[in-house]
Amino acid sequence: MKIIATYNIKGGVGKTATTVNLAFLAAASGYRTLVWDLDPQGASSYYFRIKPKIKGGSKELIAGKQDLDHLIKGTDFDNLHLLPADFSFRNLDLQLDAGKKPTQRLEKLLKPLANEYDFIFLDCPPSISLLSEAVFSAAHILLSPVIPTTLSLRTLEQLKVFIKDSQLKKLKLLPFFSMVDKRKKMHLNLMATMQEQYPEILSPVIPYSSEIEKMGIQRMPLPAYCSKGQALEAYQQLWQALLLQL
Amino acid sequence: MSEIPVRFEFPGNPPIKKFISNLAEAFPLQLTSQHYAVKTFYDSFDWRLYNANLLCEFNQSKVYSYLNLIHRETGQVVTRANLEKVPAFIAELGDSRLRQQLLPLLEMRALLPIVSLNLQLYQVNLLNKDEKTVARLTIEEYEDLKHRLTLKPIKGYDKATEKLTEFLLSTMALEKTNKPLLIAALKNQGRKPADYSSKLNLKLEPNLPAHQAVKIIYATLLQAIKLNEQGTINAIDTEFLHDFRVAIRRTRAGLSQLKAALPAEISSRYSQHFAWLGQITGTPRDLDVYLLNFSAYQAGLPAEMQVDLLPLQDFLQRKQAAAQQELAKYLNSRKYLAPLIAWEQYLKLPAEKSISAEVAELSVKQLADLRIRKVYQRAIKQGSVITEHSPATALHELRKTCKKLRYLLEFFQSLYPPPEIKTLIKNLKELQELLGNFQDCAVQKLALQHFCEEIQGSGCSQQTFLAIEKLVQVLDSKSCKARADFSGCFTVFAAPENRSVFKALFSPTV
Ligand SMILES: Nc1ncnc2c1ncn2[C@@H]1O[C@H](COP(=O)(O)OP(=O)(O)OP(=O)(O)O)[C@@H](O)[C@H]1O
Ligand SMILES: [Mg+2]
Repeated sequence: MKIIATYNIKGGVGKTATTVNLAFLAAASGYRTLVWDLDPQGASSYYFRIKPKIKGGSKELIAGKQDLDHLIKGTDFDNLHLLPADFSFRNLDLQLDAGKKPTQRLEKLLKPLANEYDFIFLDCPPSISLLSEAVFSAAHILLSPVIPTTLSLRTLEQLKVFIKDSQLKKLKLLPFFSMVDKRKKMHLNLMATMQEQYPEILSPVIPYSSEIEKMGIQRMPLPAYCSKGQALEAYQQLWQALLLQL
Repeated sequence: MSEIPVRFEFPGNPPIKKFISNLAEAFPLQLTSQHYAVKTFYDSFDWRLYNANLLCEFNQSKVYSYLNLIHRETGQVVTRANLEKVPAFIAELGDSRLRQQLLPLLEMRALLPIVSLNLQLYQVNLLNKDEKTVARLTIEEYEDLKHRLTLKPIKGYDKATEKLTEFLLSTMALEKTNKPLLIAALKNQGRKPADYSSKLNLKLEPNLPAHQAVKIIYATLLQAIKLNEQGTINAIDTEFLHDFRVAIRRTRAGLSQLKAALPAEISSRYSQHFAWLGQITGTPRDLDVYLLNFSAYQAGLPAEMQVDLLPLQDFLQRKQAAAQQELAKYLNSRKYLAPLIAWEQYLKLPAEKSISAEVAELSVKQLADLRIRKVYQRAIKQGSVITEHSPATALHELRKTCKKLRYLLEFFQSLYPPPEIKTLIKNLKELQELLGNFQDCAVQKLALQHFCEEIQGSGCSQQTFLAIEKLVQVLDSKSCKARADFSGCFTVFAAPENRSVFKALFSPTV
């Protein structure tokens, strides 16, 4: 079982879109897949039309009083399950802090699922917090969407330093470019310099695309309503590139 | 990850379109597909999957082609694999979950189609307010079977399934079923699942006259011969010939060991025919065995030598194909068929027409006691005198006696208390295995030396001959090991406690 977290300190960079679409592709190729929606806003729950609500809220969940398996819901797609978000997740940091070894909490909660799933995707809220630290120690891969801007360069650098300082041996940081507009000269230039500076950046690029935006109206993963096109191909390539890193 | 489905049947087979539109008035439904499909059940000839609690169904339509491995009792899908066609042998599949699951069960057996069903398939989703799917319905509309509805719950939405189940039962008058469709489909053909097994399963009454009992035994064996005949001729898999041969050998053992129960003229006439059958099936079976063992042969050699053995495999395959062809010719001939038909008719004759005065007036229990006692004593006698210095033929003779004993125990199992007879068979089996290994190694060594002579000058490389030589050494050390283990194994077989069980079970009853 591999845990893949999509993370960026910044909001609105395509974390949820990436989680939902890659999880769909993993499940469609036969892997038993779970998405855990950790964002109180419940965006990935929304895309799967699943109520962002769990019994007992975040408090019982973090305290280990609820069996994760009982909270998991089947999506409309084979092999693909979701652990929904809950509004109480806005207090996750407080609840983590209240317990012992807060940064190892998620890893411990996920352990019993190791035989049930081949992949677990964690959809994280934007921020750096106790929750993100717990995510970092649970995950094998930190998949980070990066919009090519000068600011994102700096945040990526900060993230790298943070991971290094925290001595997270298991964790592999894999950035990739998201919402890229190939007509913008600035995007192309920045991508070129960043790729030089960070060779670990995955080569597939997710373009800015109205097809992807439509996920909100369709309320389903992109490959479920769109059978061809640049956007779909980009996610497929990203998934393949990621598989090679495992 | 798949949930346990709820399965229903439609009494009275109403048109499904109408059913769906009625149901749609009460529940938000979405018909996702409707098409003509073909469902074919597969298993080995001896029902290995069915006996392992599995059903293998292959589903084809213009939009899909996949194989489902289903838990026989719950209907739960264990494995689903997209496949264009079902391979005859599961070993032909690429590495996959399906192969991993099926290969240990099927081994050398072919997967055969059992029944094929045409149907109209409807796939319907049950939706909630958010138009999320909360349960899936698969409806199968058949011509001459009851239509079926399979309701698959979605994890975390059990309430929806419960509500719909309730409605289907009470308002739509469907009936729950947990009988696999396969059973109903076979019933239409007058068949039952697991209607063939290579194991003898005879039920004999102790007081039955011996001559009647042996006819039951022979008729059962003849049935096995007939059932395996076509598969042997067509070489569907190697087990057909194997089971065919076992039935012949059992019949031969019966004709010689249970002579007293039939007129001498009959025993001798048919013994000849079955001896001939034993002879013509021997070579093809031996070649099958070499080929089945081939990867084990290779594995016994050092890694770098393993490829050198491949020309031997080619040679064996060619030889096996020729032997198989010859066998098929024999089995299609009158020489084969006519005596077998006469035998069948003889077995059907009433006692007054088939039994002469010379036949002993014994009950089957008396005959069984007598013969098992005799053959057991012979085995003990033969085994006891074997020392380290005894020739191989001594072990060979003991092996033949043990085989006869084994057949007798299997014929007459039902006359004795099951726990005791099972333990005796188990002990005997261990000794037989050892003797079999010893014998097989000797026979294979000899055969390999013959093959070497045959392929001399056929352009095989020196490496191949070296590999075969090495293989002979491997077999040699195996047979030495079996020889060394003999005395320990025989001591267990002949232990006083086993002897007293034999004595208690097979002493003459007064
Ligand atoms: N490649 C893209 N092209 C166009 N629109 C996109 C693309 N990726 C995501 N979007 C849209 O941008 C918005 C934000 O995307 P998304 O929710 O995936 O980002 P996020 O990083 O998860 O945001 P948050 O930080 O709020 O969780 C959504 O409306 C989404 O539909
Ligand atoms: Mg998000």
